[in-house]
Amino acid sequence: MTPVTPVTPAVPAVPAASAARPGRRRLRGWPVTLVLAAVTGLSIAPFYWLVVSATLTDNEIFSWPPHLLPGSHLGENLRHLQDRVGLGRVVLNSLLVSGIQTVGALVVALLAGYAFAKFRFRGRTVLFAVLLSTLVVPDQVMLVPLFKMMMSFGLLDSYQALILPGLCVPFAIFLMRQALSSMPDELLDAARVDGAGELRVLFGVVVPVMRPVLAALGIFLFLGSWNNFVWPLIALRSPEMHTMPVALATLQGMKTNTDYGPILAGTALSTLPMMVLFLVLQRQFISGLLAGATKG
Amino acid sequence: MTAAAPSVAARPAAPSKQVRRARLRRRAVPYLLLAPALVLFGTFKAYPIVSSLLLSLTTGSGSATQGAGLANYRRLLDDPLFWTALGNTARILVVQVPVMLGLALLMAVGLNAALVRWRVVWRLGIFMPTVTGLVATGILFSFLLNKENGAVNKALEAIGLSGVDWFGNGFWAQMAVVLVLTWHYTGYNAVIYLAGLQGIPRELYEAAMVDGAGPVRRFFSVTLPALRPVVLFTVVLSSIGTLQLFDEPYVLTRGGPDNATLTVSMYLYDNGFRYFDFGYASAIAYALTLIVSVLGAVQMRLMGERE
Amino acid sequence: MSHLTRRELLRASGAGLLALSAGGALSACGGSNGTGSSGGDAATGTITVWSWTSAADALRGVVPLFEKDNPGIKVDVQDVGNPAIWDKITVGLAAGGQGLADVLHIGCDYLPGYLEKFPNGLADLSALGADAHKDKFAPGLWPVVTDKSGRARALPWEVNAQGFFYRKDMFDKAGLDPTTFATWDDVVAAAGAFKAANPGVGLVGINKTGTPGPDTDFLQSLMQQQGAFFFDLQGDITLTSPECVRALTLVKRLDEAGLLIETPGATAWRAQIKDSKLGAGPQPSWAAHFIETKFPELSGNWRLTRPPAVTPGGKRTALVNSTHLAVASSSPRRAAAWKFVEYALTRPDAVNAMFKAGSVFPALTAAYQDPVYNEPSAYYGGQPVLKTFTELLSEGGDATNYSGDFARALKLVSDAQAKVLTKGADPADALQEAAKQLAQQTGRKIK
Repeated sequence: MTPVTPVTPAVPAVPAASAARPGRRRLRGWPVTLVLAAVTGLSIAPFYWLVVSATLTDNEIFSWPPHLLPGSHLGENLRHLQDRVGLGRVVLNSLLVSGIQTVGALVVALLAGYAFAKFRFRGRTVLFAVLLSTLVVPDQVMLVPLFKMMMSFGLLDSYQALILPGLCVPFAIFLMRQALSSMPDELLDAARVDGAGELRVLFGVVVPVMRPVLAALGIFLFLGSWNNFVWPLIALRSPEMHTMPVALATLQGMKTNTDYGPILAGTALSTLPMMVLFLVLQRQFISGLLAGATKG
Repeated sequence: MTAAAPSVAARPAAPSKQVRRARLRRRAVPYLLLAPALVLFGTFKAYPIVSSLLLSLTTGSGSATQGAGLANYRRLLDDPLFWTALGNTARILVVQVPVMLGLALLMAVGLNAALVRWRVVWRLGIFMPTVTGLVATGILFSFLLNKENGAVNKALEAIGLSGVDWFGNGFWAQMAVVLVLTWHYTGYNAVIYLAGLQGIPRELYEAAMVDGAGPVRRFFSVTLPALRPVVLFTVVLSSIGTLQLFDEPYVLTRGGPDNATLTVSMYLYDNGFRYFDFGYASAIAYALTLIVSVLGAVQMRLMGERE
Repeated sequence: MSHLTRRELLRASGAGLLALSAGGALSACGGSNGTGSSGGDAATGTITVWSWTSAADALRGVVPLFEKDNPGIKVDVQDVGNPAIWDKITVGLAAGGQGLADVLHIGCDYLPGYLEKFPNGLADLSALGADAHKDKFAPGLWPVVTDKSGRARALPWEVNAQGFFYRKDMFDKAGLDPTTFATWDDVVAAAGAFKAANPGVGLVGINKTGTPGPDTDFLQSLMQQQGAFFFDLQGDITLTSPECVRALTLVKRLDEAGLLIETPGATAWRAQIKDSKLGAGPQPSWAAHFIETKFPELSGNWRLTRPPAVTPGGKRTALVNSTHLAVASSSPRRAAAWKFVEYALTRPDAVNAMFKAGSVFPALTAAYQDPVYNEPSAYYGGQPVLKTFTELLSEGGDATNYSGDFARALKLVSDAQAKVLTKGADPADALQEAAKQLAQQTGRKIK
């Protein structure tokens, strides 16, 4: 198989045959579409409730039967949210932390994954096993030592305290290695024969081909960072530094002393950047391969 | 095969000194590539892990701790709640991971099919649960799974089944956790599969079609084998995730009823953050680590990871 | 070409990392630098307070006055949220007190655990003069804030006595008057009449399965009314005492009489009040404000009276929960922090300002002189609803020892209650089993 051959995004239908019978082809698409629509419906229904609830008063949220259409309380909920947590600053913090962390972790994982997948070196297996094994250590036990360490670095309550621990992500390295090991060596060797240095090979040849994987991984890393709660809660002190989940947690009080409207409005709001990112990046992992492979 | 060797060999003939230096440089390359990962790893992962591992060898609560050797691990063996938690976690794992990954794979194949209409809509829709935050998930499903007037029970009653006591009955509470986990993470895995499907060369399908393979046979003879590394990845990762399951029981059941949804991580959290016994909590964590590592290794072996 | 490789690599990997870690100056460090775990007794500077939602609002209300009276001290009240605050305090204490705020708002369920497991985590307030205020708080609270050697480690702020809220319209329909209920037996006896007039309505909402989270406040209040609890003041387990068994038996009897309804969690409780599925609520004082503000459409229907006693002539008061302000030992400004705590919690004007700002019901009995506690409430049909609570609190409850193992005990008692309510277990057996497990887990004696 020739690695540079463009790969079409779709699972094949014989082009000639399908072109000849466009009507039947369209018909055949409907069952799959319907099934997907049903699954999507199930996925979205709870989410729809979230969005509707963001526009309701607390009492409306807790009423039965549930409200199916948006109410008129969105502005009020958002204003409450703004008063209590300062939305702009919080969203900015979250974007900054998640953005830097995602890009950083992608680079770290790409470099490490490339090393593991395409080089033989002393300690390779051991290093990989050690990295991978920490994937299974529950995060909760690392909180206290990590907290002490950040304290002694004088980094508590800083962006670095949030970003640094999230730059080496074993799962990302694992994914990059898996993806890169299925990439044909011939492609790399061709570039090396042309005299390209390793970084040139990596960013000129590997990255374009790996764009779908990088895009998908980027979404996951961003998602993980965006929703990260416990560590930022512990590591931050000033409200000006709060990220979205930490800020939303401050809206929770004892027992019933909680206004759910603003919390749900905040939650709905905080999913927006993720969706935008997904919409932007999905193009990459759906059709990106085609462009990448030909360019490489 | 080594990637470095052929490119060095392919270089035009040069003085031997230069070749040696080049070889040295080549040998350094993987380490340099790994350097950032290793530095970060050593500081922010290895150190806290070693530190908490040492903590698991201490006893006493809070700040009044003293060395205890393996006492915490011995205590673990006799702790019925730990075994309950482990059993619950295993039960949830065995049901949840195959169901979720099977669904995710089907979704991905469906989304990838040439004939589907409004693909972007479905893709986004299926991904959406993944972005829902923890608190919202908790509130959401405590409503949906409410025994009296939750939407799920109403729907069950509408099709002639009887409603289920989701949070009052141990078995159903476990199923509730499975349901929420599946809702939350199927889209995530579908996206991974989708990215994987994109990488399967079309020629393989064309060859299969020439051989007269139908869609089902193409799925089993082309798609699945080609996705093997990706599937392995998701199986290992989902297993780890479920074995460390904490979020869903934390917001939905707090381990109840009668400890039916107490997971190992929940129990760990309770011991550390509710009972302030961090030594014992750490011991639970490393017992779990050991179990997960073994399971991960077995999975890799079974699924034919080749080094 | 290949000599570029290393340089490129270094640039890509090293530079980013360096930039990040060297960027320390860029960070907005919020005053966490230089906080040693040994602490200090500075009487000036900026002190930070950790609290949550409306309580934080209330504290902020006192700050301007305090800062005016105490030049040199600035107060920064931070709203951490609840339950988030517990994880934050716990990690700080586990890290030897590092990184904690100067003043911490702590509930009665966590305070004893912190005192027992982190004996040096919270500052000794007796050394700073706290004992002078010993008798100013509702009787029964002082033992909660003192450690084993009798030193005060916090000052009481908020206390919630149990009240019996009821829907007058529903009881009228049944021809009943809850103010005449002397004991809970009277309530059980009235079940038939109430249910006949109000089908499908319950009097007590309980999360029978304890999922998510224990719901034993009502059970605890029944124990407390009898001067009993999970532990006695010496820390021995008293779950098998006649009082505790009687309390759980009463819960079971209310259930059998059809007066207990399944209320899975706070959100369901709200829905049931809203839909008029609950005809009463044995609820703490915060509920007065809560019901009034969340259910305006039910105005005029709700009334409040004292909870019936468990045994004839028994106590009506139960202090179901309380929250407190403590000073972190690691604070470099313990004296300043104490000044703020003392100012905020021992002066009736300050305490009442906080009550008005965040409806935090004060533990300071001198505060009850304020006319606000005698004002008739239109929502409660002109009843001076707060007066019931100040009266109950002035009588005082019996001291409750939550103990350092409250969290474990709570879980086991919740399981016991669930077994009784969902599986028909015998209350005495269920408590016996819980006591046995608790003794096993904690090494405490069963009394």
